[in-house]
Amino acid sequence: MPRVMNVESHVANLRKFWRQERRLPGYGEMLELFGYQSKHAVFRALRKLEELGFLERKKGRAVATGKLTGTLRLLGAVQAGFPSPAEEELADTMSLDELLIRRPEATFMLTVQGDSMIAAGIIPGDMVLVEKGGTPKPNDIVVAQVDDEWTLKYYMKDREGVRLDPANSKYKSIRPKRSLVIGGIVKAVIRKYA
Amino acid sequence: MSEFPFTLHSYPCAIIHFDGDAFFTSVEQSIHPYLKGQPVVTGKERGIIACASYEAKALGISRGLSLYEAIRMCPKLKVLPSDYETYSLYSKRMFDIARRYTPMVEEYSIDEGFADLTGLRRVHHASYEEIALRIQAEIQAELDITVSVGLSLTKSLAKLGSKYRKPRGFTAIPGTDIEGFLKQIPLEKVWGFGPNTVALLTKHGLRTVHDFAIRPEGWADRLMGKIGRELWGELRGTSLYPVTTEAKSSYCSISKCKTFTAPSTDPEFIWAKLVRNVESAFIKARRYRLRARQVSVMLRRQDYRQEGLEIRLSRAVSVTRDAMPAVREMFDQLIEQGAAYRATMVVLGKLEPDKEQQFDLFEDPVQIEKRQALSAAVDAVNEQYGKHTLSFAPSLFLNQGRQTARDEQPQRKSALIPGETRRQRLRIPRLFLKV
Repeated sequence: MPRVMNVESHVANLRKFWRQERRLPGYGEMLELFGYQSKHAVFRALRKLEELGFLERKKGRAVATGKLTGTLRLLGAVQAGFPSPAEEELADTMSLDELLIRRPEATFMLTVQGDSMIAAGIIPGDMVLVEKGGTPKPNDIVVAQVDDEWTLKYYMKDREGVRLDPANSKYKSIRPKRSLVIGGIVKAVIRKYA
Repeated sequence: MSEFPFTLHSYPCAIIHFDGDAFFTSVEQSIHPYLKGQPVVTGKERGIIACASYEAKALGISRGLSLYEAIRMCPKLKVLPSDYETYSLYSKRMFDIARRYTPMVEEYSIDEGFADLTGLRRVHHASYEEIALRIQAEIQAELDITVSVGLSLTKSLAKLGSKYRKPRGFTAIPGTDIEGFLKQIPLEKVWGFGPNTVALLTKHGLRTVHDFAIRPEGWADRLMGKIGRELWGELRGTSLYPVTTEAKSSYCSISKCKTFTAPSTDPEFIWAKLVRNVESAFIKARRYRLRARQVSVMLRRQDYRQEGLEIRLSRAVSVTRDAMPAVREMFDQLIEQGAAYRATMVVLGKLEPDKEQQFDLFEDPVQIEKRQALSAAVDAVNEQYGKHTLSFAPSLFLNQGRQTARDEQPQRKSALIPGETRRQRLRIPRLFLKV
């Protein structure tokens, strides 16, 4: 059975070596690094890595490229002038963090313990992302301190002023009598299943 | 005496210094909002107050006081374990908010920084005072902590400004107001004037910072050398210390100090603590590819007296084991049988890049290389399984001391979110509220 060259593990090994030593290994060291018996096998591996753009040959010596050392952060690895089509498409995607968090400096996480927002789909144990520093609009879910008591409620406004509504028929709406402090606005709910 | 005005312009340069007000406890009050307005201190895990909230300070409680003493003074004091992970997250966010206005932000320490605003008025359609106030307001609105801000022409003046009114203060010192401002400031407030310098200057009849700034330049130079000359310029509004943006990448020295929860008289335990500090210090040195030519060891007694020794190594080392004989020698000289100690400290000095290596005539390079290989293997194991998984044998004695109790761990580490581990937690501050 022909042996298939595991380029991925070679690259990983070379990167690890580079991180520790800041240089490329010599042929002898590569024997051990790649798990080969003969230097010819190393030579073939190097040629392959050169083809793939991880290495370059300068004055007969192998030199690591940015693709291997990761110093250059390009869009894809530029091969023959064109970025890889997949990477180009992915440039317009975002991470889950970016989707859920609009203002990273002002966002905090809170684990919910009570059931006052159960009908809004927030159950005990859920994590909510709370943004501080904004002004709430009606129907926003807020973390608020009403007359010294902290609570999670819908923020509502009517002719009488601010009203905080629960999403659970067990509880009543509350109106601040002495004070109302908005601790933050809920921007997302996260529930993780084991 | 020089009769010339310091400068005729209000802001040839504009530098702000922002300084978190009682930073650690403010962060605790931000993540535990029900603690606002209450006397709060941090430092439960080591029995000494690391930071006291303004409410606690008003009761006479200050940093460095023992917890026992503080609770006697104020039985209602809220005592919390330090949660450096959350403090660091807040710190990073504070600097990120400043970076919305200028890329020139210097992270001077966990709770204070400088920002250079020179030339940014047009971009933000605002005066320097307005930009400084916006940064201060955004930090307060989004992080729910307060900072005090000083705005002036140089780092030294901006720092005097941020200390002038606290908490939540803002002090602007334009060039034309420098002289009037400095007349109110006593010498010891200046960043760089230690007790000895102040004593020296007082002997020459100086009282305020203004007295210092109106002396001729040569006078400051003769008395205090280069530092004196530079501070003299800075205090007169000539910016000599630039705002440096790069993160710390080079270290002049690396130090590790750990206080034990209960002071100990057991030499084996104290030695184990010291060895752990030495290991941590060398791990850090290796991470930054440095090696140390000098090692010092300090032991702090229960009554805070401390004794230390310093050894110059024959060769700069990065492998922990290579420094151990010297450390042991110093330890044996320092330790007094039966005395109680509360902390050990190690400092690696004279650091240099860990590159080519020159061997001593009487050393055995083969042995040294073997030890290096062993050290690399230990690092690899610890990288995979967690710091100090594989460590020196004295660490067996570490557990004989009192273990950190669960209530001495910050909530962040004791109440993990599903998926978080002892080693890794979510990079976002958590609010602790019962809702």
